[in-house]
Amino acid sequence: MRNLIGKSVAIGAIAALALTATACGSGRDGDSGGSKGDTKGFAADSLIGVALPSKTSENWVLAGDLFTNGLKEAGFKSDVQYAGASTTVADQQAQITAMVTKGAKVIVIGATDAAQLSTQVAAAHAAGAKVIAYDRLITNTPDLDYYVAFDNFKVGQLQGQALLDGMKAKKPNGPYNIELFSGSPDDNNAGVFFNGAMSVLKPEIDKGNVVVASKQTDVKQTAIQGWKAEGAQARMDQLLTSTYGNKELDGVLSPNDTLARAIITSIKGAGKPVPVVSGQDSEVESVKSIMAGEQYMTINKDTRNLVKQTIAMVKALQAGNTPEVNDTKSYNNGSKVVDTYLLPPVAVTKANAAEAYANDPKLAPLTK
Amino acid sequence: MSRLKDLQKNLFGGTTSNARQFGMIFTLVAIIVLFQILTDGLTLRSDNLIALFNQNSYILILAIGMLMVIVAGHIDLSVGSIAAFTGILVAKSMAEWSLPWPVAILFGLAIGAIIGAWQGFWVAYIGVPAFIVTLAGMLLFRGGNQFIGNANTIPVPEGFRVIGSGFLPEAGPDTGYNNLTLLLGLAACVAVVWREFQARKTRREMDADPAPMWVSVLRMAVMVGAIVFASLRFASGRVGTSFPVSGIILVALILIYSFYTRNTAGGRHIYAVGGNSRAAELSGVKLKRVNFFVMMNMAVLAALAGMIFVARSAASGPQDGNGWELDAIAAVFIGGAAVAGGIGTISGSIVGGLVMAVLNNGLQLLGVGTDRVQIIKGLVLLLAVAIDVYNKSQGRFSVIGSITRSFRRDTPTPPTSSSDAEREPARTAVSG
Amino acid sequence: MSDVPILLEMRSITKEFPGVKALSDVNLVVRAGEIHAICGENGAGKSTLMKVLSGVYPYGTYDGQIIYQGAETRFSDIRSSENAGIVIIHQELALIPDMSIAENIFLGNEPRKRGAIDWKSANRMALDLMARVGLQEDPDTLIKDIGVGKQQLVEIAKAFAKDVKLLILDEPTAALNEADSRHLLDLLRGFRSRGITSIMISHKLNEIEAIADQITILRDGRTVETLDVKADGADEDRIVRGMVGRELSSRFPDHTPKIGEVFFEVRDWNVRHPISAERQVCKNESFVVRRGEIVGFAGLMGAGRTELAMSVFGRSYGVYESGTIIKDGKEIVLKSVADAIAHGLAYVSEDRKAIGLNLLDDIKASTVAAKLSKISHHGVLDEVAEYKAAEAYRKELRTKAPTVDESVSKLSGGNQQKVVLAKWMFTDPDLLILDEPTRGIDVGAKYEIYGIIQRLADQGKGVVVISSELPELIGLCDRIYTVFEGTITGEIARQDADPETLMKQMTSTKKMQTR
Repeated sequence: MRNLIGKSVAIGAIAALALTATACGSGRDGDSGGSKGDTKGFAADSLIGVALPSKTSENWVLAGDLFTNGLKEAGFKSDVQYAGASTTVADQQAQITAMVTKGAKVIVIGATDAAQLSTQVAAAHAAGAKVIAYDRLITNTPDLDYYVAFDNFKVGQLQGQALLDGMKAKKPNGPYNIELFSGSPDDNNAGVFFNGAMSVLKPEIDKGNVVVASKQTDVKQTAIQGWKAEGAQARMDQLLTSTYGNKELDGVLSPNDTLARAIITSIKGAGKPVPVVSGQDSEVESVKSIMAGEQYMTINKDTRNLVKQTIAMVKALQAGNTPEVNDTKSYNNGSKVVDTYLLPPVAVTKANAAEAYANDPKLAPLTK
Repeated sequence: MSRLKDLQKNLFGGTTSNARQFGMIFTLVAIIVLFQILTDGLTLRSDNLIALFNQNSYILILAIGMLMVIVAGHIDLSVGSIAAFTGILVAKSMAEWSLPWPVAILFGLAIGAIIGAWQGFWVAYIGVPAFIVTLAGMLLFRGGNQFIGNANTIPVPEGFRVIGSGFLPEAGPDTGYNNLTLLLGLAACVAVVWREFQARKTRREMDADPAPMWVSVLRMAVMVGAIVFASLRFASGRVGTSFPVSGIILVALILIYSFYTRNTAGGRHIYAVGGNSRAAELSGVKLKRVNFFVMMNMAVLAALAGMIFVARSAASGPQDGNGWELDAIAAVFIGGAAVAGGIGTISGSIVGGLVMAVLNNGLQLLGVGTDRVQIIKGLVLLLAVAIDVYNKSQGRFSVIGSITRSFRRDTPTPPTSSSDAEREPARTAVSG
Repeated sequence: MSDVPILLEMRSITKEFPGVKALSDVNLVVRAGEIHAICGENGAGKSTLMKVLSGVYPYGTYDGQIIYQGAETRFSDIRSSENAGIVIIHQELALIPDMSIAENIFLGNEPRKRGAIDWKSANRMALDLMARVGLQEDPDTLIKDIGVGKQQLVEIAKAFAKDVKLLILDEPTAALNEADSRHLLDLLRGFRSRGITSIMISHKLNEIEAIADQITILRDGRTVETLDVKADGADEDRIVRGMVGRELSSRFPDHTPKIGEVFFEVRDWNVRHPISAERQVCKNESFVVRRGEIVGFAGLMGAGRTELAMSVFGRSYGVYESGTIIKDGKEIVLKSVADAIAHGLAYVSEDRKAIGLNLLDDIKASTVAAKLSKISHHGVLDEVAEYKAAEAYRKELRTKAPTVDESVSKLSGGNQQKVVLAKWMFTDPDLLILDEPTRGIDVGAKYEIYGIIQRLADQGKGVVVISSELPELIGLCDRIYTVFEGTITGEIARQDADPETLMKQMTSTKKMQTR
């Protein structure tokens, strides 16, 4: 017994040392790795990494599925990851690092926190991978290569305009009482949506035609941390008690569908008539709600198109070409101006829903 | 008793917690080997090992403090919030008051100390259970983080990032390796050998036979082999990388705190308080001081962990620290600490944390989604503790006890492990 | 006696734990309607045997047969043995302090009516059961509000609620005072006359002699013999001989005291209860201790002896009100345990498991726990010094353990007590206060501990012994104080001490001086 064990441990130790010796042969990569071969492209069956935020909205789940299938169809190997529910940033950091380790050639990142990924993006860049920011711009890094997104300022403008139109349709003359909501402050887009919407609403507010009765117009007051539905519901509950005891609420600017539904739930819970509420993302429940006449509008940012565009960029990179971009000026991430492809969003109300979702297998039946 | 058990005793020491640790190290090695095979060699590649330390050093630092808190019989749920609160203040201090980054680090540690003193006061001097105090702290400092940061993400300057994502500089001749990392490895090897001989000397001074020489040589060979392997791996990463700075901070803390908990009166008092606080008090241990210290120490380490994470992320964000307390607590319990306090070691908790880290990393390399990773981690935590509890309830020793049990039948059992004829056989736990 | 049917027979029971054989080939025959005592030193295997019987160690984990009511039985857990009418009452009572007597009696066995607990009939049945054990209390009284003796009765009532046929009592009188013990023994006799069989484990040989019909003696996990009390004329000495395997000539080692001057004095000591401030637990108590003297404190449970000792020992009990401590002619103020240790006081508590030892520690860590400074330099511990100190005490006190690395939780009561003594001897005290130093310890170990106490006194230390066993105080102490309800009621020199005198003063407030 004694000898057997002694021997096996000794063999183990020798094996470890031998492994070590072979490890010595691996040598060191240069500082900038393969990134020198900028325009040469890479093998057609390379690994493409996709790191997305946690599964808090249907949209991300859909995007993940589309990426998995789309990249497979294009002949790539794919690794699509979502961040965990609570430790989002740390998870995403680890996932991106793992993708780099596995030798991904392009890493598509839908950031959970736009400013906390620069170390990982730098590591990816150093290892020779291209980094595409998907939907959310990654800030404070010179190593980000491309950004692809819907025109979010436009989204805000469409939301603001639809809100005004909707209120006018219900009640021809103002002044209208509205409340403002905005998205998570760690999401770079949240501010863009809000500013877009305010670019339409502000002139009306200044004229006195539209009144924010709670006077909470600053983005810090309106933000909902983590895009959490319960956060929006709680804020709406509190606004209703504090401000709308005997006032009528005509409209609510909501940055997306999840929050819009939470807001409507709150208002219905308080026994008030549902006002005009904006939304975004064309989530199933919200489309149903629009068809039922509760939520007024949503934005169709067809995730299919965005994913399609991203995969097109990946393909271009694979072939050694420069991907198509349509904005090389507006998106400064703090370290550089990032080459960007912007897709146009579409505003959807009950009136144009059937037309807007005609190509969507999940949503089209709901509009009939 | 079986030779395997003797060997285990010789290699790792004979106490229950050591045996438990042996089981955990065994598990860790098994997991590493498993993933090394499954990922086709990615797991032990230089860049992955470096990433592993970079990604987990802050959790392991928390585990050090948490071990002491749990050994003393408390729990700290506020570490994530304290880390986030400190992170945002430190980031702001550099961005808005332009504190130089070394000063900012001291500032951060001071914040940790103040928060720790606050929580320690309630736990030790008022007697509010730590669960409650730190649950309150969790809310308090999370709110504080949002209040101060307005939930914004605040970037931190380059110099500060060294503690989270920095590496040792390249120095000396071009050897194809990071020379400073090799130097660290060499120092570690020397330390291991020195310690082994020191331990033999101590055994002799106790008039006890030191382990047979071949055991010592084997033990040194295994450890030196592991260190050589690791340092070559860490030194052979991409140029500009090395054993990470956060890893060095971690290793230094492990050494300091292991020494403190094992070899000092202060450390002994923590175990005494957790094992039986009334008995400790009646032995002259200053209960309040010990409780105050562990809570305060935890907060300082949480502040450090928060800063390292911020440095690694290059910015302080509103989601920092979410769920960290659970990772740290899990590491400590997987590492063999007792829920009721009094039992546990720093090294055990580190191994426990590494088991979780390697599992996480390996599954990510395999492309397993976070949802399934969480399920697996949850099961591992439950299983690790359940096996231990089950073994204790069976009057058996530990994980290793169950492994070696099958060997016992075929080896005739001498009456007791003691060969000294003068000594009476032990009357063990089964006394009448 | 052989014509009485056999209720229980345990045949060749062997139970092994890793590395130790706790029971080997143990046989036990219990006849219906008798009181059967099981005797043996700590570690002899009594409790293990009872755990095998009650299914704590289920069938399959031991070798041998259990024949109960004429058929072989294989209990898989405690429930199955209880269903068969075997109920064990452990030394540590399994009662829930914040529940009422009735709730405790029916815990896990609640009378139900349409799914809900039927409290009306529960209370009625409880009263009936309480009458059977002679307990006069309101069934709604909370357990924590009644004394240990009555709690014991509740445990027995609980057993009756389960329709008990064989009642096993593990050290039933260990925590009881004389009166409660007597009541309990009478109760057992009553059960016998009603045909209930009892097995009783006890260290109190006088009780066993008084009550048992048969005595089975275990030593080192083996059956030594079974005595029939009447036929064999088994008296205490006979039982002791069986237990230790030799004759113990005297219960106390010979000792000639070398008593010096008064060096420690407590004057007008007043302490209030830690929670209810109106309760005064020490009322103007004063006492002195001389060098080389063993001073006893006699009193009933709850008389305030432990409270007095602990409040003197660095105010570790209650709220200090007034009083002075004088040591070597100088007044000292002991505000904390650390102060007390620094001034050469040591307190060995009555409850070594709960507050005397950290059961997670090994022997060496326990030995040095109260004075780490002695084995450390600038706070850094010296392992070698620790080991040597512990090893020296292990040899000196003849603690039975393979090495000082052994966990104290694995030691028997007597050896644990030796470790506690070592821990306090290590602090080099001038005054040792020993609270119930031999509780739950077998005869052989008691003798050794008496010897240690005498040696300590001979070294010129003062020793205070608090004990509920009057023979122990009379045999060991040079002088005895009696305490009643927080007041010192008497001081008796060794030559005048006899149980009757002590008892009288322990139960009356009238101060008497018989010096």
